[in-house]
Amino acid sequence: MRPRPFFLWFFLPSLAAAVLLVAALGEIAQYAFRVFTPGSLEVGGFTLDNFARLARPIYLSVLGDTLLISLATSLFTLLLSYPVAYAMVRAKSDFLRSLIMLLAVTPLFTGEIVRTYAWILVLGSNGFVNTVLKSAGLIGAPLGLLYTRFGVIVALVQFSMPVMIIILATALAHVDRNCERAAANLGAGPAQVFRHVTLPLTLPGVVSGTVVIFAWTMSAFSTPQLIGGGKVLMISNLVYLQGLSSFNFPFAAVLSLLALAVAMGSLGSMHPFVSRLELKAAIN
Amino acid sequence: MSARLARGLRASLFWGAVALILVYMTIPAFVVLMTSVSPSELLEFPPSGFSFRWYERAFSYPDFQNAFVNGLIVTAFASSLSLLIGSAFAYLVDRYVFAGRAALEAVLASPLIIPHFTTGFGFLLLGADLGLGQSYAVVIATHVVLTLPFVSRTVYVSLRNLDPALERAATNLGASPFEVLKRVTLPLLRPGMVGGWLLAAILSLTEFTASLYVTAQRTQTLPVAMYTYVREYTDPTIAAISALLIIFTTALMLLANRCLGLRRILAIDVH
Amino acid sequence: MALRSAAVLAIGAMLLATAPVRAQDKLVVDIWGGNFRDGANEAIAKEFTKRTGMPVEFITGGTIDRLTKAKINRDHPESDVTVTTSHVGALYVSEGLFEKLDMAKLPNAKDLFPVAIRSPYHIGLYSYVYTPAFRTDLMPPGYDIKSWKDLWAPEAKGKLGLPDFDPSHIIIAAALLAGGNAENWKLGIPLLEQLKPSIKAFYQSDATSQDLMKSGETPVQVLLSINAFHQMQQGIPIKIAIPKEGAVVGIDAIGIVHGTKHLEAAYQYLNIALDPEVQAKLCGIYRCGAMNEKAKLDPELAKLPGVFTTPEQWKTQAIVVDDVTRAKLLPVWKDWFTENMMQ
Repeated sequence: MRPRPFFLWFFLPSLAAAVLLVAALGEIAQYAFRVFTPGSLEVGGFTLDNFARLARPIYLSVLGDTLLISLATSLFTLLLSYPVAYAMVRAKSDFLRSLIMLLAVTPLFTGEIVRTYAWILVLGSNGFVNTVLKSAGLIGAPLGLLYTRFGVIVALVQFSMPVMIIILATALAHVDRNCERAAANLGAGPAQVFRHVTLPLTLPGVVSGTVVIFAWTMSAFSTPQLIGGGKVLMISNLVYLQGLSSFNFPFAAVLSLLALAVAMGSLGSMHPFVSRLELKAAIN
Repeated sequence: MSARLARGLRASLFWGAVALILVYMTIPAFVVLMTSVSPSELLEFPPSGFSFRWYERAFSYPDFQNAFVNGLIVTAFASSLSLLIGSAFAYLVDRYVFAGRAALEAVLASPLIIPHFTTGFGFLLLGADLGLGQSYAVVIATHVVLTLPFVSRTVYVSLRNLDPALERAATNLGASPFEVLKRVTLPLLRPGMVGGWLLAAILSLTEFTASLYVTAQRTQTLPVAMYTYVREYTDPTIAAISALLIIFTTALMLLANRCLGLRRILAIDVH
Repeated sequence: MALRSAAVLAIGAMLLATAPVRAQDKLVVDIWGGNFRDGANEAIAKEFTKRTGMPVEFITGGTIDRLTKAKINRDHPESDVTVTTSHVGALYVSEGLFEKLDMAKLPNAKDLFPVAIRSPYHIGLYSYVYTPAFRTDLMPPGYDIKSWKDLWAPEAKGKLGLPDFDPSHIIIAAALLAGGNAENWKLGIPLLEQLKPSIKAFYQSDATSQDLMKSGETPVQVLLSINAFHQMQQGIPIKIAIPKEGAVVGIDAIGIVHGTKHLEAAYQYLNIALDPEVQAKLCGIYRCGAMNEKAKLDPELAKLPGVFTTPEQWKTQAIVVDDVTRAKLLPVWKDWFTENMMQ
């Protein structure tokens, strides 16, 4: 295609934004190879030591924990989101569809801090759940929900559901109802129609939703920080502890790169499963 | 008979499950609203009375006032810049073929999967090395990069759904390329652009993790000030602010749904 | 239509935003939040504004977070005066972030205990202890802490809260129990590892410490005496122990930020903070020990554990580690602690 008018007008702003982002990531890559001087922000010459430190058991276990929490979060998110997305797309009444949409999507826009703080109120020793259970006489001593992996995952799943619901609803909205009707006419029961027609047709959405949530959860910070109370550490918390609280910028950079690599890797692993069709659906 | 019964049973099971899940999604907001009007400093359910004291404190606390103004400054610039750049980028991807297009697309979409703390940390280092520290410029640049993928996606969807015949007709009638852009393309993209801008503004206003890295006291945004407050005080003032944010967002969502259609902003439907 | 109104809104917001909001001259003090800020405002800032007519603005944050931000923004300092823990103050000094003090401009400095002059750049404001404390209503009757060793007792299992921002107290205590001291802290490592089953959570700030105590989430804590007294005043039954090995003394210090545009005002603020009456008032609010010998503390306050008023108390109840040793070891300790204890 011939160059068209205003090409530079459209091109240069985009390029500028891309350059900024690449420069910021480049800074991280650069710092990852610098010598750390304890107690100082100034970094020394180049070294590989920062990467060697990753081999220490704690970093492996935090990485393992991060992956485990992310995996559990994305799976539970998927299980809870599918019915909601299904109801949101298939509900007969307009009002019901809008209501579900509103309830399901609004949490996405209240922000991380509001949502995390809310869960502290719900899960704490004197929080909502414990008070309700206690006054119902179901428990004597408060359950320890805060500062546990369970509490962190309960909160993370709720944060992740709106995005998952949007992705699944997009996939469900694209399913051709005629395929389902045809299957039903051929004698398939509702469960069979779902298992053999609807689910396979939305599988790309399921996979991409799960991967997106997995990558999102990898980068969760305030939830493990505030709800985990230092007892649940994820990579993001280590980056903060190392970067802003110990000013070990080089090692914080290494941990950031690690998180980036895992996020990219999980997305890369999606490729074989997801056809071009789904990529198109995700963009459209 | 029994088949109908089974269907009814299945349907009520399904809707019961959906209702339970929606309760789980909504309960935190409900608890926040309840706590925010509790007169007691300790959390209690149900509240022993009704009071607006935490709202008064939230409004009179200077850090929140400053952070709110900072947040508006950052969001105003970031979402508007993001709209300009994101729309230009969407048009670029839709209309031009050029070397490096795929690479540019990959880079600008990457903030969707790059952990926010990585992006924030990168911009912190960049700002420090450029001598900009944690100034507005750095915060705004970070927010632009983070919101860009959302804006460009929304505008791109509008561009895809645009009937090319309209632009061709204008050209055939003698309109210059600039006139076509100004009189045909842009007006048709308006809903998508407004939706994208709204999305960027909300995301920027509520962004926390990256902001924690790139803001200093004089540039900190509301979520960062709230995080600091949670760490420094134990009273329910945060519940009051959170309640206000929840009410504001819900109202905004209702409005957006009424005026633009949430499904279109979120690009769930394609038609 | 929608686009135009959006544009008008955006432009309006920008104009509103760029309007000069804060032109007034004021002194900016960075300090911790919560009752630290409120106390400094009540005791020092109000007096300062009364005498000079200049308002004071506080900016707040965690100890190390503020140090990091001070380093990043060293070319455009955000504050004029910094209040921080004495040994972290030593890091500010080594980074060149503080002005060298001209003692002639601080007449009140002549009445200070010698321990108050931390360096030519920063001066101690008050002292406190980090020590074990527990909720008397939530621990079994008869439970008491007489030694740091009691934190290892079975009764404390799964009930202990420790700070994540500064592990030095428990590390020093473990070293002492193992027959060592701060310099050869590694002697205490086996003990520290045995402590893990006791730990319920790590607190990240004074507020989280108070919250964990108030909610009973961690009824045993190694905590700042000031926070414990603050909560006892609110009616929470807490007992502060001074173990037989002593409590770890801390001194919070004040310094003038290098490159401040309000040098004279900053000196005045420091001098007022060191004034005997202001010191007595400040310590009455924080419930801590004064640095000005002439400060007349309330006798009730002087009786509190960890508020040292006699040289004898300093000798028998205090574990003192010098600033430079502690500053040098702090990053090492934090790394070790994060890697080995926090999981």
